[in-house]
Amino acid sequence: MSLKKFSELFGDLDSINSTNNKIEVLKNYFLSNDPIDNSWAIYLLTGKSNKRFISGRYLKNLFSQIYEYPQWLIDTCYLKVGDSAEVITLLLKNKTNSRKKKLSNISLNELLSETIPALSKLNEEEKNLEIKNLWEILPEDYHLIFNKILTGTFRVGVSIGLITKSISKLINIEEEIISHRLMGDFKPSIDSYEFLINKNINLQELNYKPFPFLLANTFEDKIFKNSINDFQFEWKYDGVRMQLIKRSGKVSLWTRGQELVNESFPELVEKMSHIKDDFVLDGELLVWNFKEQIADDFSLLQKRINRKSPTRSIQKKYPIIFISYDVLEINGRDIREIKLENRRIELEKYFSKWQNKAENNISDIFKICDLIYPKDWPDVLTYKEKSRENNTEGLIIKKKTSIYASGRKKGIWWKYKVDPMQLDAVLIYAKGGSGRRAGLYTDYSFALWKDQELIKFASAYSGLTNIEIKELDKWIRKNTIEKFGPVRSLKPEMVFEISFEKIQNSKRHKSGIAVRFPRITKWRKDKKINDADSLENAYELMKKIS
Amino acid sequence: MRTKQEYLIIYKDGNLYCELADIWIDPSKPVKKALITHAHFDHFTFGCEEYISTKETAILLKERVGDNIKIKTFEYGEEFKINGINISFHPSGHILGSSQIRFIFAEEKWLISGDFKLQKDDTCKQYEIVKTDYLVSECTFGLPIFKWDESNKIANDISKWITNSPEKTSLLFCYSLGKAQRLLNEISQTNFKGNIYSHGSIHKMNHSYRELGIDIKDTIKIENKKKIDELKGSLILLPPSLSKGSYLKNFKNIQTAFASGWMSIRALRKRSGYDKGFAISDHADWDGILEVVKKSEAKNVFFHHGDSEALSKYLVEKESINVLLFGK
Repeated sequence: MSLKKFSELFGDLDSINSTNNKIEVLKNYFLSNDPIDNSWAIYLLTGKSNKRFISGRYLKNLFSQIYEYPQWLIDTCYLKVGDSAEVITLLLKNKTNSRKKKLSNISLNELLSETIPALSKLNEEEKNLEIKNLWEILPEDYHLIFNKILTGTFRVGVSIGLITKSISKLINIEEEIISHRLMGDFKPSIDSYEFLINKNINLQELNYKPFPFLLANTFEDKIFKNSINDFQFEWKYDGVRMQLIKRSGKVSLWTRGQELVNESFPELVEKMSHIKDDFVLDGELLVWNFKEQIADDFSLLQKRINRKSPTRSIQKKYPIIFISYDVLEINGRDIREIKLENRRIELEKYFSKWQNKAENNISDIFKICDLIYPKDWPDVLTYKEKSRENNTEGLIIKKKTSIYASGRKKGIWWKYKVDPMQLDAVLIYAKGGSGRRAGLYTDYSFALWKDQELIKFASAYSGLTNIEIKELDKWIRKNTIEKFGPVRSLKPEMVFEISFEKIQNSKRHKSGIAVRFPRITKWRKDKKINDADSLENAYELMKKIS
Repeated sequence: MRTKQEYLIIYKDGNLYCELADIWIDPSKPVKKALITHAHFDHFTFGCEEYISTKETAILLKERVGDNIKIKTFEYGEEFKINGINISFHPSGHILGSSQIRFIFAEEKWLISGDFKLQKDDTCKQYEIVKTDYLVSECTFGLPIFKWDESNKIANDISKWITNSPEKTSLLFCYSLGKAQRLLNEISQTNFKGNIYSHGSIHKMNHSYRELGIDIKDTIKIENKKKIDELKGSLILLPPSLSKGSYLKNFKNIQTAFASGWMSIRALRKRSGYDKGFAISDHADWDGILEVVKKSEAKNVFFHHGDSEALSKYLVEKESINVLLFGK
C-alpha cells in the first residue's frame, strides 16, 4: 500500500499551500509508514535523488514508438505542460490495460531499490520492453511518480527545512539537531531513518557533518541607527560558500547545498589535512588571482566546481583559495555559542599558528578574510561602492556579539550588496517556459540600439510578477512577428529596465558584451523604444567599472 | 475546390457568418440577425436586432440579461428557412439549451458544433451525432494530454476533499451557468451530505434549471447565511471572478479549488492560486473532438476557439481528413 500512500502524499503536498498543514501531512505520513519507505520518501522529497535513469527525450521517444504517436505532437504537448514525465503520464491515461495492474501493492522501497535499478542492467531493447510492461502493470495513479523518478525530475514544493520541521515535531528534538542529521549524504535505509529519528543525540555520529549554515539577510536601513562599533565588516565574495571540516584527522568540504566536494578540490583537502588541530571553518571558496591578490571571476570557479579529480594543469590554471571568516568548532569544542568577536580572535590565533609552520605552507591556498574598518556609516557606503574594484559583491555586516545560529536568522548577519548596473532595453524575443511556467512565454531576450539596429544583449526570465507575466504573455501572442519552434520574435515595442551585476567583453556575443545575473527590475511602460539605451551606453558603463 | 468566398459559412471580423442568409453565429458585435448556440456571455452580445436560439437558451439568456431582447426560439431538430437555407438546432451537450447548428443549402450540409462535450451530463441533453459535409468545430482542448475522467470520479474526489477537512469551509469556484449545476447534480450523488451554499449568480441559474425541468438539489444562497461558523464543513459554489480580492475575507479557515479542464496540467494548477484543481470540463477532450470529426463524416473540417495547429496536422497526417483554414 505504501506507494499509494506516497502518491497521495505527493498530491497533498502539491495542493496544500500552508506550511503548517504540510508539516502535519508529512508527520502523519512518517507515522503511518515503514522506516524504509520513510527514508526513501525523505530521499525523494529533499531532492537528494537526482539520478537520471533515462532522459526526458528518451521517455518521449519510447512512448512515441510504442503507441505510434508522432514525435511533433508530443513536443507540442510538452510546450503546454513543461515536464516530460508529466506529458507522458497524461498521454498514458486510459492507454494501459486496467485489468493487469499487478503492481498496485508495490512499496516505495521495492520500486526504488529493486524495480528501477534493475532497469539499468538491461540492454536497450529489454529496457524499453520493461518500461512498457511497468506502465501496463502499475496503476495509473503511480505513473507520474514512476516517470518522474525515471527521468530524475522528482521535485515537489517541499524544502529540506520543512522535512526538518516535521521530523523535529515527530520526535520532539530541536530542528538544529535534525537539520544536522539531514546534512550531507543521506543513503536511504532503515538505519539512516532510525538515526534521523533517534531521540538520543550522539555527537560522535555527527562527526563528518557540517553545521547548518548561518545565512545573511538583506541590509535594512534601520541598522544605520546603531553604533558602527557594534559591527564587523567584511567583503562579500562571490564564490562558493563552504564549511571546511577537519575532525579526527579527516578533512571534508561541504557546500551550502550540502554537497561533499572533496573530490573537486583535492589540493585543498591535502594541504589542510597536515594541520595538527581539528576544526570547523566557515568561509568562501574562490578562484584567486594571486598576482593581483583579488578574486577571479565566478565563471572560472565554475570550471572547477563540477569537475571531479582535476588534473595538475587544471589546478594550476584555476588556482583556488579558501577564505575563512568564521570558526565554529576547534579541537572538538563547539564554539558557535560564543560571540562573533571572540570567535574572530580564535580564528586569527589559530591562523597565525598554522601559518608559521614552515613545513606546510598553507598561505597559497588558505587565508582568513580581511576585516574592513569604516569610520562611520557614510564610510560604509564608500566601501560598498568600492567593492567592484576588488571583484566582490558588496559588504557583509555582522553583529559582533552574535552567536552562530542556523538558517536565515534575523539581526545577526546582513549582506549589503553594491547597487546593480542597469540599462533600459527592448524586448525582441520570447520563449516558452518550463515547469510551473509552462504554457506561458517567460524567457525573454532584450536588445540595445546600435545605430538604427537593435542588437540582442541579454536574456532574462526573472523579475516580473505573475500578473505582469500573464499580461506580457498576452501581449506577446498578439505581437509576434515570426515563430521559430518555441521562440517568437516580437514587434519591438516594450522597454524594460534590466539590472545586472557584471559587464565584460565577450567575443561570443554579437553585442560584444556579456552581463552576469541579468534580471528585469522594471517594466518601463512609460518609455518608447527610442528611449532605450544603446550599446554605446553599455560600453561606457564597462569603462567606468574597470 | 471552391475558394473561401464561395463557402456557405465564412469567418468575418472574428465571427462566423453566413452571407447567403445574412446571419451571424454567436457574434461579438451587434448585428441584425444572430444565431446563439448557448447562453454563456462569451457567445452573446447586446444590441442585435434579432436573436434566434433554442427555447432553453432563450429563457436562460433572459434570466441573465433581462427581457429586453427579441428572441425567436425553435425546438431541437425543428427546421426553419432563411433565404432558402434550412437551419436547425441539435443538442451539443455543453450546458442546458446548448446546440450545434446545421445549415443545408442545395444539398450541401454545414455543421457548426458550438461548444460541445460527449460526456454524460444529466443536466442537459446528450450530444447528438449529426452527419455533415463541412464541420466547423471548437477545439478548446485540442491536445491529447486532455483526457477527462468520468464525472462521478471527479465528484467523489470533490466529496473527499471536503470531508477530509471537516473543520474547513470549502470554496469551489466554477462557472455559474452549466458547470455549477452539473457539479451540484454530481456531488449530490456522492457521500458528501453536508450543506451546499451557492453564490447569488449561481443560485439564480439553479432556479432557472429547475424551472426548465432539471432536477437539481436546492442550495442555500450564501448571501442568506447567518453565522460564519455554520459554514464549517460545508461546500460553497462561487463564480471564479470572486476568487481574487477581498471577497474571500467573508470567510474564515477556507480551502479553495477550481473546477476546469485546464486543471489537468500541474503547472496551471500551481499557477492558478487555488489550493486544488479538479479537471472537469464542459468541452470535449481530444478523443471527443476526434470522435465527433469522424462520426460526423465531414470531408472538410474547420477549427476555431482554441489552438488548432496540432489537431489539424494530426487529422491530415493520421486520418487523412481535409482540414481547412478560414481566410482571416
